[in-house]
Amino acid sequence: MAPSAPSINSTMSSRMATPRPSSYRNKFEKRGMTYNIMLVGQSGLGRRTFLNTLCEREVIPPSEAPNPDSANVADPMKFDTYEVPLEEEGTRVSLTVIDTPGFGDGLDNTSCFKQLQDYIEAQFDEVLVEESRVKRNRKYRDHRIHVLIYFIAPTGHSLRELDIELIRRLGEYVNIIPVIGRADSLTVDELATFKQNVMRDIEYYKLPVYNFCWDESDSEALKENRDIMDFIPFSVVTCDEVLDNEYGSVRVRRYPWGTIEIDDESQCDFALLRYIMLNSHIADLINYTEDVLYENYRTKKLEVGGFGEPEAEDGDEETSHTTDSKKPE
Amino acid sequence: MSASDASSSSKSQAASGGIGIANLPNQLHKIVTKKGTNFSLMVVGESGTGKTTFINTLLTTELIEPLDDASRRKKQLDKTVDINIHKAELEEKMFNVKLNVVDTPGFGDYVDNHDCWLPVVDFIENQYEQYLRQEQQPVRKGIVDMRVHACLYFIRPNGHTLKPLDVRAMKAIGARVNLIPVIAKADTLSPAALRQFKKRVMDVIDAQSIRIYQSPIESEDEHSTQRNKDITSAMPFAIIGSDREVKTADGRHVKGRLYPWGVAEVENDQHCDFKKLRSLLIRTHMLDLISTTEEVHYDKYRTTQMKTRKFGEPKPRKVDNKKFREEEETLRTRFTEKVKLEENRFRQWEQKLIAERDRLNKDLEQEHNLVKQLESEIEAIANSGSPNTKFFRK
Repeated sequence: MAPSAPSINSTMSSRMATPRPSSYRNKFEKRGMTYNIMLVGQSGLGRRTFLNTLCEREVIPPSEAPNPDSANVADPMKFDTYEVPLEEEGTRVSLTVIDTPGFGDGLDNTSCFKQLQDYIEAQFDEVLVEESRVKRNRKYRDHRIHVLIYFIAPTGHSLRELDIELIRRLGEYVNIIPVIGRADSLTVDELATFKQNVMRDIEYYKLPVYNFCWDESDSEALKENRDIMDFIPFSVVTCDEVLDNEYGSVRVRRYPWGTIEIDDESQCDFALLRYIMLNSHIADLINYTEDVLYENYRTKKLEVGGFGEPEAEDGDEETSHTTDSKKPE
Repeated sequence: MSASDASSSSKSQAASGGIGIANLPNQLHKIVTKKGTNFSLMVVGESGTGKTTFINTLLTTELIEPLDDASRRKKQLDKTVDINIHKAELEEKMFNVKLNVVDTPGFGDYVDNHDCWLPVVDFIENQYEQYLRQEQQPVRKGIVDMRVHACLYFIRPNGHTLKPLDVRAMKAIGARVNLIPVIAKADTLSPAALRQFKKRVMDVIDAQSIRIYQSPIESEDEHSTQRNKDITSAMPFAIIGSDREVKTADGRHVKGRLYPWGVAEVENDQHCDFKKLRSLLIRTHMLDLISTTEEVHYDKYRTTQMKTRKFGEPKPRKVDNKKFREEEETLRTRFTEKVKLEENRFRQWEQKLIAERDRLNKDLEQEHNLVKQLESEIEAIANSGSPNTKFFRK
């Protein structure tokens, strides 16, 4: 089992103190860690610019001008995949991001949840099939979603039905981290109130957001994780331009009344979120997905009458026969 | 020659003293001042777009109070759109306005927002209907006029374009009332992004034939014409709202929003179009809004209704609202179930009574048989002629 909180090496927070053993790192040196992120949220909340700001380059090009003649019909939801090889503090991460444009943009969005659930389950099914093969593919690429970043609209009041339903339905299949998109539309007071209201809603409706404190073995990391939970939902502002000043280049967003520094922790939680997603908690998120979420899914699937025994000594034919017959679900 | 002399002399008479027609506007002014006026404003948009704050900022008073937690929680999964009316009387320099603000909580807030503009449209048409009925009454004094004079549609700035919900709703609303589209929470878009968004919104409005309020531009003086041009070119208005005073970096106290990176001022034209919108709604175009409602929108409604209905006949009620139909179904099934239950109860009761009656009848029969038996025994003993019978005969 991999340890929970990896190395420190950061100028930002001295909170993360536990070092990561080198053997863990070496395993991924060559291949790069497989890490899959899904971005979900209504259009206009900054999903695409978030990704570009996160990866520090333009991964998703700006969308083309929409056609005014077709503004009365919504585009159906689709899944766009982007592969971004990253290097974070010496570790290579083979990052795949799945964007979901069209979510929640239609008049009736009830079908969006099923589509997302089907997609996530399909990735689990693929792994289940792969595991059950007698001869496994060494180059097999794991497409399971390790974290889902959900963008909440900055209404300033509380969660809406769409938010509640999404977290409720998908929380058992994927780690959900709620994030406030376009958080620069909220003043300091409004942001504090909004975060409080969202947390209260999460408690009231018992919404299954990712619990940073799931691993209770390491007490020091546990304390850090409790502090992190206070920031949920994370406020995110995305970068428009890069300015050069005497300290180097600064990522900013400019308004007539002031300039926001994206990486300044006192102005928004973007830097903290990035650190959590790509550095300190990457192992946690992957482990929870593999050890808990996937295992639960697998158990449920096999109980219902799913695939053949993984260690069956029967030939290829029989296992593939049983898997094929159970596949269409 | 004398005719022209006469006409020229009459003209000169008009030029010098006149008969006093020019005083008519002053008389009208006095009448209107005494009567006051009635203005209804509707705000439509998703929750969290700043409708309440805008109204409170516009009127510089807290007309609409923010919801408390309990009511908000009840509304979260409610799936309905409400119509709330807030009334106020404004007075400024001896002139009063009876103001009605209509709020629409729940609009566009749910997973399924299909047809969510129907309650809004129904409300607007109902006000026309009420006015029409009142006009047709024998006694027309004291008409209550709740016709909506302007509807502000709050667009959430997503930076791309209008959503299908916005398009469909605005189309339906704009056909019936003065629709003024407004970009809410404009302080979340940079100036360039805002310009682009405004243009895209106007493109969609043109392409989809959405009817919005066009303020008259030409006016008597240059100044007004220019101002009207500014107002029209700024549509849709980008606004921010704040009912609080904050201190800017250079020490001024203004109405604005305080961020860690600066203060966005409500009344600063560089920051947002609030002043232009306020001017449109109150200072300069309120009368035009009222007269357009009466002369154009209400008239259109009246014409279409009178073509199909007789004078004084009530409007046939359409009950085709999907949500109400569902409620109706559930109520109906509940009613039928209750009736069935009662019927069953009665039937069981009836069964019990019948069973009871049968039982009693059987008992009766048994007794009857017993009696008969005893009687026959008596007969037998009587007829057998044994010495004991002499006893009996006695």
